[in-house]
Amino acid sequence: MTNGHPIRAEEFELFALGVFPGEERALIQAHIDSCPECARKLAEARGRIALLSLAAPQQSPPTLAKQRLLEKVRAEKSSTIAPVQVRETRPSAPWWNTIWAPAAVVLAIATIFLWISDRHLDQQLQQIQQATQIYQEQTQHAQALVNVLVAQDTVTVKLDATPAMPKARGSVKYNPRMGMMCYTADLPEPPPNMVYQMWAVPMTGNPVSAGIFMPAAAHNGQMLAKVPTGMDCKWFCVTVEPKGGKSAPTGPKVLVGTL
Amino acid sequence: MSRAQRAEQQNDSDWSLLERIVQKDESALAALYDRYSGLVFAEATRILRDSGAAEEVLQDLFYQIWRTAEKFDPARGSLPGWLLVAARNRSISRLRRRSSRDDEELTENSVVLPCNLETAAAQNQLLGRVKTILSGMPDGQREAIELAYFEGMTHSEIAEHLATPLGTVKTRIRSAVEILKQALA
Repeated sequence: MTNGHPIRAEEFELFALGVFPGEERALIQAHIDSCPECARKLAEARGRIALLSLAAPQQSPPTLAKQRLLEKVRAEKSSTIAPVQVRETRPSAPWWNTIWAPAAVVLAIATIFLWISDRHLDQQLQQIQQATQIYQEQTQHAQALVNVLVAQDTVTVKLDATPAMPKARGSVKYNPRMGMMCYTADLPEPPPNMVYQMWAVPMTGNPVSAGIFMPAAAHNGQMLAKVPTGMDCKWFCVTVEPKGGKSAPTGPKVLVGTL
Repeated sequence: MSRAQRAEQQNDSDWSLLERIVQKDESALAALYDRYSGLVFAEATRILRDSGAAEEVLQDLFYQIWRTAEKFDPARGSLPGWLLVAARNRSISRLRRRSSRDDEELTENSVVLPCNLETAAAQNQLLGRVKTILSGMPDGQREAIELAYFEGMTHSEIAEHLATPLGTVKTRIRSAVEILKQALA
């Protein structure tokens, strides 16, 4: 608390973020409601914090969303104008209102039904597009795997366990011409917040990362990695690294194989 | 609408569009929607992980602007700022099944953005900047601030979620906020 304000200058962003517990939050909010200076500081803090939303993966709303909004707006406009016109021009209800009223109800129900149906179809379309994309990626992955596996110049390297993990085993199929390698590994779950990382080690130069993986994926033999074409590989190894991987091996080697 | 009219609308300020919305000009609402719907939808989708629910939040916000545009006061802050804050509040309310006070948000939550988001170029530039700021944070700080912003968690909830001491979580979030402030200054 400073100068009678229950919030320090550096805490406005935290308040905007919403991390304070309920009681503290209510106390600060009550003060801000009556303190223009703090309200101004909070508005600025809210603006800075709101920019975190830009970290969200960008995606466009469904193409029909705008149309639905404008239809809703038009419906509101017509519903607010119509009663005024009726009152000014038609002092008494004409006989055909008995037809129009039920017809309007039916039309409204049909409109709602079509809107729901349209929305459902739009969601289905999105799901199909996502599934298609996943399928295409899987197909490309499978094709790349097949290319490596059937190529005449692909070599197989057996990966041996190290004392760090004696029961581990695995193998690498490496094609220097394609600059591709695929590998399998039978490993236990790594320690918390750790992952396995595959390395291709050239005769000269630094080890090249061939991806991070968890045991389940590598056990199924789906791991595929791109390494520099024509790299003169000497050996391969798997190390245990922090989540996210490293640019050079730092952890213990658990599998090693020489070409 | 002619190409010339559309270009003219794209150059309109938010507040001139709002003035036209007060006069019930649909094309002004459409222009405002084109300008900010992507940002709002992306934010709501990230929080709710459901594009259908995110669209409902998007529709509600723009419909509220249509109905109550006269309540916006330029002196109280920025329209895109209000949109981003309101989208977050409503999405988190839905996510955590809390009630939200939609009508009051409009007048109570004033937001001053430190930058202009009225053009696509400005939005793209800022998108890159924010992502750079976040990617430069240590993993623990980034994870904590994202849980607070996108999941609406308090200090204690984040500590429990990450099985991390409360003091550590507070320090991480405070540091992350400080990095954000300095980078945007």
